[in-house]
Amino acid sequence: MPDDPTSTEAVLSVRDLKVSFATRQGELRAVDGLSFDVGSKEVLGIVGESGSGKSVAMYSMLGLVRDSNVTISGSVKFEGREILGLGDKEMQSVRGGDVGMIFQDPMTALTPVYTVGWQIVEQIRAHTDLTKAQAKARAVELLGEVGIPNPQRRAGQFPHEFSGGMRQRVVIAMALSCNPRLLIADEPTTALDVTTQAQILDLMEKLQQSYGSSIVIITHDMGVIAEMADRVVVMYAGRPAEIGPELEVVRFPRHPYTWGLLGAVPRVDSKNTRLVTIPGVSVSPLDVPDGCAFAPRCEHRMAICDERPALLGDGEHVDACWLSDAQRVAIRSGSKTSGGRP
Amino acid sequence: MSGEVLLRATDVVKTFTSRGKKLGARNVATAVNGVSLEVRRGETLGIVGESGCGKSTLARCLVQLLPVTSGSVEFRGVELTGLSRRQLRPHRREMQLVFQDPYASLNPRRTVGDIVADPMRINKIGSDQEIGDRVRDLFVTVGLDPASIRRYPHEFSGGQRQRIGIARSLSLNPSLVVADEPVSALDVSVQAQVLNLMADLQESLQLTYLFIAHDLGVVRHVSDRVGVMYLGEIVELGDAEGIYGSPLHPYTEALLSVVPELNDTDAPRRERILITGDVPDPSARPDGCSFHPRCPVATDECRTLKPPLIELRPGRFVACHHPRNID
Repeated sequence: MPDDPTSTEAVLSVRDLKVSFATRQGELRAVDGLSFDVGSKEVLGIVGESGSGKSVAMYSMLGLVRDSNVTISGSVKFEGREILGLGDKEMQSVRGGDVGMIFQDPMTALTPVYTVGWQIVEQIRAHTDLTKAQAKARAVELLGEVGIPNPQRRAGQFPHEFSGGMRQRVVIAMALSCNPRLLIADEPTTALDVTTQAQILDLMEKLQQSYGSSIVIITHDMGVIAEMADRVVVMYAGRPAEIGPELEVVRFPRHPYTWGLLGAVPRVDSKNTRLVTIPGVSVSPLDVPDGCAFAPRCEHRMAICDERPALLGDGEHVDACWLSDAQRVAIRSGSKTSGGRP
Repeated sequence: MSGEVLLRATDVVKTFTSRGKKLGARNVATAVNGVSLEVRRGETLGIVGESGCGKSTLARCLVQLLPVTSGSVEFRGVELTGLSRRQLRPHRREMQLVFQDPYASLNPRRTVGDIVADPMRINKIGSDQEIGDRVRDLFVTVGLDPASIRRYPHEFSGGQRQRIGIARSLSLNPSLVVADEPVSALDVSVQAQVLNLMADLQESLQLTYLFIAHDLGVVRHVSDRVGVMYLGEIVELGDAEGIYGSPLHPYTEALLSVVPELNDTDAPRRERILITGDVPDPSARPDGCSFHPRCPVATDECRTLKPPLIELRPGRFVACHHPRNID
């Protein structure tokens, strides 16, 4: 949405991000033209299956992809300032300070050889002028805020003494330690059980309200998106297939890939019906077609699909597909699930 | 569905002993704590529970991959516990496993054709020619190209590998297939393909499934009946519609309430019941009901007296002093 009028107040503004790796088999296009904005206090969900480029996109914009074979282009503005291509020093002040991060696996995100209190203090001291004692007090306060009982004692313990859910709370405490204006959460609940996931999502929601941060949540689970996100980006093969408000995308999905993705989820709240499947497997990022990336698996493929479709639509809700509105209504009215807009 | 019981487990207990913290001390973890269930011919019994609840250990005990500590497992009327490996072999043919990780469960150094043929070779079923034909048939059955039998597992995607694992499990014409988290390693679109395949195979080959998973949506989708496990025990068992529609156990109720759902209808969402804390250590079980330290409706009775699994309604079993949703 390059002409989006709200883009001036966006916390994060990404334009035409491309990440590719030179490999022996040729150019691997991991992210291929991704653009989106994250507004103030907004929760943006990025959903896609493995290999869709959702994590690489986030890591590359934060300078965390350090492969000598990588080429990154495009523009990433954080609060109006271009951060793509910043030097290590400058990037370090952004990362962990104004931009907090929550990773998928809370065991590998924490170092096993230091106490969790030490790890939080280190991060606070790297980004603020607080003294050691002040930072320590803040660390204990944070552990309490994320719902860890007995934070004073727990701060002196090592990661292995915490359960998975408790470890993820520590990672969240760390991410929040410098009052970030943007929080990037990469599959924050994937490694957790469903009851623990509910606790963590609940916590993230509460903290988002009290800290007023914007959140980018990366996940493969449409349910988590429905629970958390205001807007959603559906990614396929490194490209955005559909972008729109969460309710719009879930109820009136426009892109055939989104139709498949939503129909493939077995439901807790309804009776057994046959699952919708998407034939074939995800396209290899080594040979993404020049036209529509989804075309080889799409049941509604047309001749024009050899050309790459642009992200178009009405207002906030856009998608990259050549099908006309009339065609979509005709296709969707034939299917059982929630159809296209009447 | 006929009522014939294919597999009957009675009061199965499995404990693991490890070295304790102090020298000479022993630490006994009860992974499965007195599970009784029946699997009927032609049905899918789903077992659902969070990590560490003992669902995989239970599956391994039922097919005798792990010896049970106590209790009985009967398969088609024959007691399996205590049988020697040789005595078990004819029964093993009838119950096959599909494993969770399609990367770890296929030998990377053997061709996929050999992997599928091995169970038949080990059981000396048919000539090389017959086995070869059967492997090609199985590949077609599970939706793989029979021309690929000389390839190696790394040349296949996760979903294709799981199809190979399913073909292997079918090679001996089993009556019971025990699937332990068969789709949890797969992306949702591939997961749907594998679930649909398993449904088709069940119909065409009249298979009985014991389906173990942590994903409540997947379990509802595949199961006729569902058992909910918590800390090594079945806390609720019954028909899938009943359990998902009106759960009786507070754990089931809470579990269902927190599954993130798509808001694609205007139906009001379930009120979320957040249960606090973590699952207790199976080597230090709480007294009384295992769930009482986290239960929102626990009373003094629950802290001292362990509730038995009782048949509250026809076919609906629950182990709780204060069952929910009973009018």
